Amino acid sequence: MEKNEIVEKIRVILVNVLKHENFEMADSLSAAQVNGWDSLTHMIIITDIENAFGIQFKLKELNKLNNMGNLVDLIQTKLG
Amino acid sequence: MSGYLFRKAVADDIPFLADTVVAAEKSGSDKLSYCTLFNLPEEKARGFIKSMFEEEIDGCEFSVSSFIVAEYNGKPVAAFGGWVETINEDNMPSNMLKSNLISFTFGKEALAFLKTKAAAIAELVSEREPLALQLEYLYVSDEHRGKGLSNQLITELEKAAAAIYPAVSKVQVQVYSNNDGAIAVYKKNGFHIGRTYKASNDEVLQLLPWNEKYIMEKELKK
Repeated sequence: MEKNEIVEKIRVILVNVLKHENFEMADSLSAAQVNGWDSLTHMIIITDIENAFGIQFKLKELNKLNNMGNLVDLIQTKLG
Repeated sequence: MSGYLFRKAVADDIPFLADTVVAAEKSGSDKLSYCTLFNLPEEKARGFIKSMFEEEIDGCEFSVSSFIVAEYNGKPVAAFGGWVETINEDNMPSNMLKSNLISFTFGKEALAFLKTKAAAIAELVSEREPLALQLEYLYVSDEHRGKGLSNQLITELEKAAAAIYPAVSKVQVQVYSNNDGAIAVYKKNGFHIGRTYKASNDEVLQLLPWNEKYIMEKELKK
């Protein structure tokens, strides 16, 4: 899958869970910078991403994610 | 305090730590959030809590390494967790480590159920202050209450935190505002109420022990 397709799919999930669009999908974007992306919504976002892409994250992979760029790269790798 | 041994928790303590989490999380009520928010029976939730401890992730409330255990006659009788926020392998907020553990462990069905309850509890979600010692999950078994074990566990956690991060200058703990016993223990140990979080949605009382919580805190002397 192309990177921009992955980014768009994640954006739709974020809008759906967080109910706003006040963020830019930059590689450097982190959860802390996004209004409402807290420990509660994080669980839902991760699960929605896994379902949307048909993938399963390993715990160590999740714990290394610190920005959008990492997340997109990881999804791309997992999709092979 | 004679007869009690205080030590860092080890992997063999995981069943006791799971009991500690279940008892502390209920906070004197019959509401266990790991059941109510994920539609799980208590034994299943307890099993997942054990699994999360077994992942050996340091720096959060499901880290064996966070806990101090009080032992009596060779058996654990009390425990309390504490870690310095964001001092961990990946400098991750502990709440994110916890959320990752839950996402990884609880399974799709449980997470889908959480989605239906998230809005009701959203106002009680609080993030933790970086570099502050965070305390979580205090439990003292019935027959060992009133012996000062809580005070000693707090002291031990403060010592352990200072050994890992000498600049630690604050300690915080979250407590439901109706938990008079715990609030009294923390006040006696120098804590005061910092912030209050209140949920306006009545459904919260079906899901959590109470609809209001305090962040209690104190400065640590150098």
